[in-house]
Amino acid sequence: MAGFREASGDLQLESVTKTFGDFTAVDDIDLHVPRGSFFALLGPSGCGKTTTLRMIAGLEQPTAGRVLIGDTDLTGSRPYERPVNTVFQSYALFPHLNIRDNVAFGPKRRKAADTAKRTDDALELVQMSGFATRKPSQLSGGQQQRVALARALVNHPEVLLLDEPLGALDLKLRREMQVELKRIQTEVGLTFIHVTHDQEEAMTMADTVAVMNRGHIEQLGAPAALYDLPRTRFVANFLGQANTGVGIIKDTDGDHIVADVLGTPVKILKSRSQVHDGEVLFGVRPEKVTVSRTQPEGAGNDVKGVVRDVSFLGVATSYLVDMPSGTTWSCYEQNLDVEPLDLRPGDEVWLTWNAGHAFGVPA
Amino acid sequence: MTALAHAAVDPGADPAAPAPRATKRSWTAYVLLLPGALWLGVFFLLPLVQLASVSLQSRYPGFPGYYYRDVNLDNYASALTDYAPHFARSFLYAGLATLLAFVVAYPLAYAMAFKAGRWRNLMMICVIAPFFTSFILRTFAWSQILADEGWVAGTLNFLHLLPGGNIINTPVAVIAGLTYNFLPFMVLPIYASLERADPRVIEAGGDLYANGFTTFRTVTLPMSMPGVLAGTLLTFIPAAGDFVNMELLGPQRGKMVGNVINDQFLAIPGGYPVAAALSFTLMAAILVMVFLYVRRFGTEELV
Repeated sequence: MAGFREASGDLQLESVTKTFGDFTAVDDIDLHVPRGSFFALLGPSGCGKTTTLRMIAGLEQPTAGRVLIGDTDLTGSRPYERPVNTVFQSYALFPHLNIRDNVAFGPKRRKAADTAKRTDDALELVQMSGFATRKPSQLSGGQQQRVALARALVNHPEVLLLDEPLGALDLKLRREMQVELKRIQTEVGLTFIHVTHDQEEAMTMADTVAVMNRGHIEQLGAPAALYDLPRTRFVANFLGQANTGVGIIKDTDGDHIVADVLGTPVKILKSRSQVHDGEVLFGVRPEKVTVSRTQPEGAGNDVKGVVRDVSFLGVATSYLVDMPSGTTWSCYEQNLDVEPLDLRPGDEVWLTWNAGHAFGVPA
Repeated sequence: MTALAHAAVDPGADPAAPAPRATKRSWTAYVLLLPGALWLGVFFLLPLVQLASVSLQSRYPGFPGYYYRDVNLDNYASALTDYAPHFARSFLYAGLATLLAFVVAYPLAYAMAFKAGRWRNLMMICVIAPFFTSFILRTFAWSQILADEGWVAGTLNFLHLLPGGNIINTPVAVIAGLTYNFLPFMVLPIYASLERADPRVIEAGGDLYANGFTTFRTVTLPMSMPGVLAGTLLTFIPAAGDFVNMELLGPQRGKMVGNVINDQFLAIPGGYPVAAALSFTLMAAILVMVFLYVRRFGTEELV
C-alpha cells in the first residue's frame, strides 16, 4: 500500500476547525483520546459530532488544526492512508458483494496474507459466520450492523469510528448491541470513537463522553461525573433530566453559596457551582429529590409545591410538581414503603434534597 | 366467477371461505391488464404472426408482388447467406456505437450524479434536449456536420489526418451518427443507477484502503452495472436494426441489415418474404445475443 501510514498511540485533535461556507461545523476543538478507550461524542444533530468523526476518518479535511495518532500527523492524508476504519450510519455495506467479500474487502486491498483467516475470525467475533455467502440485502438491520462492525474490525485499525451505529435498530436490539459492542471493544482493546445523539447509549458504553454543542465541546468526562456535575446549562439539560431554577446569588454560608430562586433560598456547594456571583442556574437531579407530605426537620433546601401529575412506574412512582417559581420539577418516590405516600394531583407536597447534590451553572 | 356462482347456489358452503374475495381481486388485475394486452395483441402479436407467415411464402413466378401460402425456407436461407455481410456490419457498427456511447456516457453520467451540484438539472436538460427535434432532422444535421465542405472534414484534411479525404458516406460517419443518436439511452440508465447509489458506500471503499481508482473499479462500477446493462441494451438493440443513419450518412455500398429490410419491403418488387425472413432472423439473433449478454453480466440481486 503506497501511502499507508502506520501510526500507533493516542488520538489527538489539535485546534481543529471545519467550516462549510459561512457555517462553522466544528469550532476549534481539542481532544485527547487515550489508546484503547471507548470514547463517545454526544450531541444533538448539527452539533458537529459527525463532522469531527469524518475528519478523523479523513473523509473531510479540517479547515484548520491537526489530527494525530501517536506522533504521526494524519492531517491531509486520504482515508485509505489512515489506520482508521468506520462503521457507517446505515452500515453502507457493498450491495454487490456477499458478506464474506464485504468483510474481506479491507484486508484484500492491503494484500494481507491471512485474509481468509482474518475474515473468518471477524465474522466469528460478531457471530455472523453462518451468513458468509448471503448478500447484505438478505440480512436484517441488526445482522447488517454486525457485518459492518466485522468489516471495520477485521483491519485491526488503530481507531474504530462508529457513526450512530445503533440508530436504525429497535430498542431491544439496540440494548443487545450496546452490550455486544462493549464486549467486543474490551476483547479487541481498540480505541472506539462512538458518535451518538442518544445520551443513554453514550453513558452506558463509553469510558469518556464529550458533550458537543454548536461545534464546541461543552464538557468532557466520565459519564457519572458529567451527570453528577454538569458545567453548562446545555449539559445539565441534555444529559439526563434536571430540575432547574434561575436564581441570584445573595450570600455565602461556609462552603456554600446561597442563591435566591424567586423567593426560595437554596444552597449550592461552592465547589459545585461554576458561578459565584450574579445569576446562576440552580439544578438538582430528580432522583436526588425526596417527596414528603410535611415539611422535613432542619430548614433549608426544601420547597413546597403542588402535585400536577402522578405516574406509577413499578420500581418507583414519578411525580411532576408545580413549583412556586413557575417551573415544574420531576421527582421519584421509590416504591419500598409498606404505606406509600399515595399522592394525588392537587396535593401539596414538600420537596427536599441534600445541598451536596445541587449544582450551579451559568444561567 | 365460478366460485361466486358456486357460493350462491350452495348455501351449505363454508361461510369463512375466502374464495369470492380472492376471485374478485384476481379479476381486478385482469381488467387492469386488458387495455395493454389488447394493444399488444392487435398491434404487436397479430402483425408478428402475419410477418411469420409472410416470411414463409413463395412468390408466383411471373407475377411480381403476388405470393401464395407456403413453407418456403429458401427465404431464410437467402437471408442467412446473401445478407450475412449485412448482418455482420449491423452488429459490428451497433457494437462499436454501443462501446463509444458507453465511453462517452459513463463519465458524463458520473459527473452528473456526483460532481454537477447545482448544474445537474441543466446537464440533464442538455442530455434530453435533442429529443425535442426529430430523429431524422438530427441525423440530417450530422450529414451537414460531417460533409466534405464542413469544418470537421475541413480541419482534419488541413491537418492531413483524414486518409480517405472524407467522413461523410463512410462507416465512420454511420457509427458516429449511431453513437450520437442513442447516447441519451446510455446516459440516463447509468445516471439513474449512479444517482441511486448511497454515497456512504463509495466512501466506505476509501475507508477500507481502496484508493480512488480501486474504489471505482471495485465499488462504484459494479454498483452501476444494472444501469450499464440497461444502457447497452437500449443502445445496441435499436442501433442494430437502424437504417436511417446508414441511409443519410453511410456509403452507397456496404449497407446494414436494416437498409436491406427497408429496400426489400419498399423498393424491390416481390421482396416481402425475404424482408420478413430478414426481420425474423435479426430479431432471433438479437434475442440470442441479449440472452447471452444478460446471462454473463446480469446482476439480478441489484435490480
